[in-house]
This record gives sequence, C-alpha cells and structure tokens, in this order.
Amino acid sequence: MPKVDISGLRKYTVLFILLGLMVFFSFTSPYFLTVRNLTNIVIQNTYFIIVAVGLSFVMIGGGIDLSVGYQMSLVGVITAMAMVVYHLPVWLAVLIGLLLGTGLGFINGVIVSSIRIFPLIATLATSAVFQGISYLVSKANTFRAYPEQFLLLTRGKVLGIPFDILLALVVVVLASVVYSETTFGRRLMALGGNEEAARLLGIHTKRMKVAMYTICGFLTALATMVMISKANTTNSSFGPGTEFIALTAAIVGGVSFMGGEGSVPALVAGVFVLAVIGNGMQLAGWGTYAQFIVRGLILLGAVAFDEYQRNLQRNRQKGC
Amino acid sequence: MSADYVVEMKGICKRFGGIEALRNVDLELRRGEIMGIVGDNGAGKSTLMKILSGAYLADAGEIFIDGQKVHIRGPLDARRLGISMIYQDLALFNNLDVAQNIFAGRELVRDRFGVFIDKKRMYNRAAELIRDLRVDIKSPKMSVARMSGGQRQMVACARAIAFQCKVLIMDEPTAALGVTEANKLLGLIRNLKDMGLSILLITQRIPDVLAIADRVFVLKGGQRQDVMEVSKVTLDDVVTMIVKGKGGNGTAAPEVQYKSFG
Repeated sequence: MPKVDISGLRKYTVLFILLGLMVFFSFTSPYFLTVRNLTNIVIQNTYFIIVAVGLSFVMIGGGIDLSVGYQMSLVGVITAMAMVVYHLPVWLAVLIGLLLGTGLGFINGVIVSSIRIFPLIATLATSAVFQGISYLVSKANTFRAYPEQFLLLTRGKVLGIPFDILLALVVVVLASVVYSETTFGRRLMALGGNEEAARLLGIHTKRMKVAMYTICGFLTALATMVMISKANTTNSSFGPGTEFIALTAAIVGGVSFMGGEGSVPALVAGVFVLAVIGNGMQLAGWGTYAQFIVRGLILLGAVAFDEYQRNLQRNRQKGC
Repeated sequence: MSADYVVEMKGICKRFGGIEALRNVDLELRRGEIMGIVGDNGAGKSTLMKILSGAYLADAGEIFIDGQKVHIRGPLDARRLGISMIYQDLALFNNLDVAQNIFAGRELVRDRFGVFIDKKRMYNRAAELIRDLRVDIKSPKMSVARMSGGQRQMVACARAIAFQCKVLIMDEPTAALGVTEANKLLGLIRNLKDMGLSILLITQRIPDVLAIADRVFVLKGGQRQDVMEVSKVTLDDVVTMIVKGKGGNGTAAPEVQYKSFG
C-alpha cells in the first residue's frame, strides 16, 4: 500500500492553525480583522518573540528553562532602579540589565550541566530564587517615569517601523542563521537529539548546555528591556507568566519538548497563535480568565501532538 | 616496542563500583588484520573496546598506538589517533539526516574560525562515502529515523571511516540484522580491511568471526584467555575457550546451543 508522506506538511501546520484562527475571530468580532488591531497584536508581542527565541535554544538542545519569567522580574527591577533610583546613564543601566540576565542564564546552565538533575526541577528552583531576590531588591516598590532615551526603544521608529519590531526581527533572523548555518546550531540539534551520542562523538556537551542557557538568559534580558520600556513602569510582578506563553508558543511552533527539532519562523507563528487567541477572545468579550483555560488546553494539546508525532516515527522505525 | 602492532593495550583494569570488569588485560592488534573479540555476556568485551575509543577511562594500564604511548582521555583523543568505534546502539541522531549524522561534531566549515558550516561540501562528501561503501541509500538527505537496520548500520559505518580512520571497532554489528543484511555487512568489513583498516570486531556470532577474522581474542570474566589464529581453530575450540577458559575448568560447553547460532 503506498504511504502518503505528509511529514513535509508538518512545517506548515502552525501557519494553517494561525490562518484558521484569524478567519474564526474575524466572525466573532468586526474589529478583529482591522489593520489597527493586527498591528497592535504584532507590537504587543515583540518581547514574547524574543523570549521564545531564547527559550528555543534551550529546548532544541534538549533542556527547558522555566525561570525566564522570573529572570525578567529580577532584570526588570534592577534595570529600572539603576535608571530611576540611582540615576545611572541609560546605556549603563541597560548594560547592567543585559549582563545580569546573561549571568542568570549562565548560572542555570552551570547548575543543569554540573548537577545531573532534570532541568525542569533545576530551573523551577532557580525561578523561586530569582523571584525572591527580585522582591528583596525592589522592596515590592513600583518604578516609573523612565528617561526619554529608554522609552525610545519602543517609541522610536526607523522608516516608520517601531524600533522593537526591528529588534525582534534582527533576533529572529540571527537565530535562524545560527540554527541553519553554524556548527553551534548543528551541534545543538545533535545534543538535543541524542545526548550520549553527541558525547561519544566528542561534542563538548557540558559547554554546549552552559552556552544555550546563557544565550537564553541574554535574550530574556533583551526582551525585558522591551517589556519595561513599553509599559513605562516595572515592579517585581512584571515577567512571571511569560515562561508559560513562551513555552507554549515554542511547542505550538514545532519546537519539540524532547529536543532536537524546531524552526524559528514556525516558532514566531506559534507566538502569534497564542496572541491571536488572546486578542480574539478579548474582543469577543470572553474575558481574561477563560484565556487561562484555553492556554492550558493548548499546551496540553501541543505536547500531546508532539508525542504522537514521535510515536509515529518510532513505530515506523520498528516496522522496517 | 614492536611497531608491527597498530594497537597495544597493556595491563588494562577497570572497575564499576564493586564489579571488576577488566583484570590486567593485554591486547595486540596487528596492522591490517581483523580480530574478533569474543566472550560471554559480561565478559568485558565492550568495556575493553570503549576504553580504546575513549568512552570509558581505564583505572590502570597503558595504550600504545603504532608503538607510541598515548593517553586517551575522551572520544576526541581517540578520534585524533584514528580510532573510531561503531557502538552497538549505533549512536545515531534520529532527528538528523544522513550527512548531518556523518558530520555531527566535526562539520566541514567555510571559514577559518569554524563558525559557518559548508553544507554543499558535506552533502557531496556524504554522497561519495555512500557510493564507496556501495550502500543502497538513495540520498544523503534521507532522515535516518526511517531507515532499516542495515542502512542505519551503514550510516554509522560511513561516519566512522569518514575521517582518517585506521582502527575501526565494531560492537556486535550483525546482532540486529537479518541474514542477507548481515552477510552484506560481513562483505563490507572485508572491503574495509582491503582498504587498509585494522578492525576489532566484537560479536556473539562465532561463525562470523571464523568467516572473516584473522585472529580471535577470547575474554572471560574480565580476563584475557587466549588469542587464536582463525585458520588453526574450529568453532568448538572457540566455544570451549569462551565457556571453560584457559584453565579448562569451567562448566561443560553447551555445544549444541552455540552451534545453532550459525
């Protein structure tokens, strides 16, 4: 019996879902399919895209980072305090924030690669630590009124395009190049696909793990800058929750929960699937709380689909 | 030190916790020969070979390559010395294609700093390797997840010999294959020998060893029993050595069962 190979179509699954959702929500609200609303969706999601790309490095390498939201909380208040409380120059405050985020990622990487525990548990633990430090440092204060220069990050435009959209675009393009054109990207796929085989081929698996968490930390910090600049305010509750959306978006976008697979364009589409659902439900008047339920169900569904795909592959192998 | 031997291992010891996996084992591999490594389950065959390939570190002992003393601290060291091992589970990446598997960890690059990969050269070279091995793999872009056991074995083999390899270790390569595929593989191993490789072949199938090996190395309980010239022994001799050992005081050989393997 001839078998139809539909695996090539899998790449586009998430795009079809996105289009289907857009058609659906265009019926539930007349405001959904307007240029203004669609532009808003893009603008509101630039930092989710940057975090999701960061998380993809960890996930493709076979790990997971649940602490990204709490890294954002800590990086956010430190950067804000540097500007608002200590009146440091904007460039220095941003530099401190980026270095801090990179450092937090590095710490995650060292913990995961040196103590052999599940990265799920390790980063759950560090997320609690990061959040505690964030509240200790901020004393639960809210910081606002950033310098004009810092607000330019999200209010400035180049050729009519908001600066943070360009930033997200640069991150997306760079990440795509890293995955498809560099030795690092190749080895990351190998590490995520079969860690023991990677080790036996002489790939420095520990160093790779530290690197992927560090990259994730840096990109998370970069996203934090966008997030707090856009809000023009910060407190320690800014950030947590992002990890759930980024993780779900990544899995919806075809980044395998088990590592070794993923593409950046599909990942971006995954972010927009969640964004469109949130926006569409809001416009249809279904409220915020129902969104939590839907997001949870989507995560479950996406993981189940991922597992189903893997089983298909495994069975095919056995069948031969 | 005689440089007739491409590999010499001396006094190799290895413990795993309370278990003494290898006790003072010596091994000499002649240049260009196929040596079968046989022994019962748990005799230490794979452990000994994994020490040579850098997957394990020996607790004691010395290794000489071409008469030079070497220190193998990891898979990279072994690879630099021209030693490749095809592991029993093949250590393939199911998420990658044939060429990506062959070049995993040592990608061909375009720039001096080794940052950017050269896909075109890798696919061309992979296609060449497949052709040289005369394997029925249609394209180096095929995903290994969908391949048969024999094809997967060939991909692992292509990867092992892709870079100046002089010593090839194979861990039970025919164990998971059907009769036709196994025979094909034995033919391939002979071809590899003709290409100048020295080969260490771990196997449970004694007839395979008798068919293609020059010598056979017998391990029992982590100790070397004997090295025999294949031309001078019979299946029974080998099986007796595996079961009874050098002293000949083990339990009687269950001959019939062993023969039925062939």
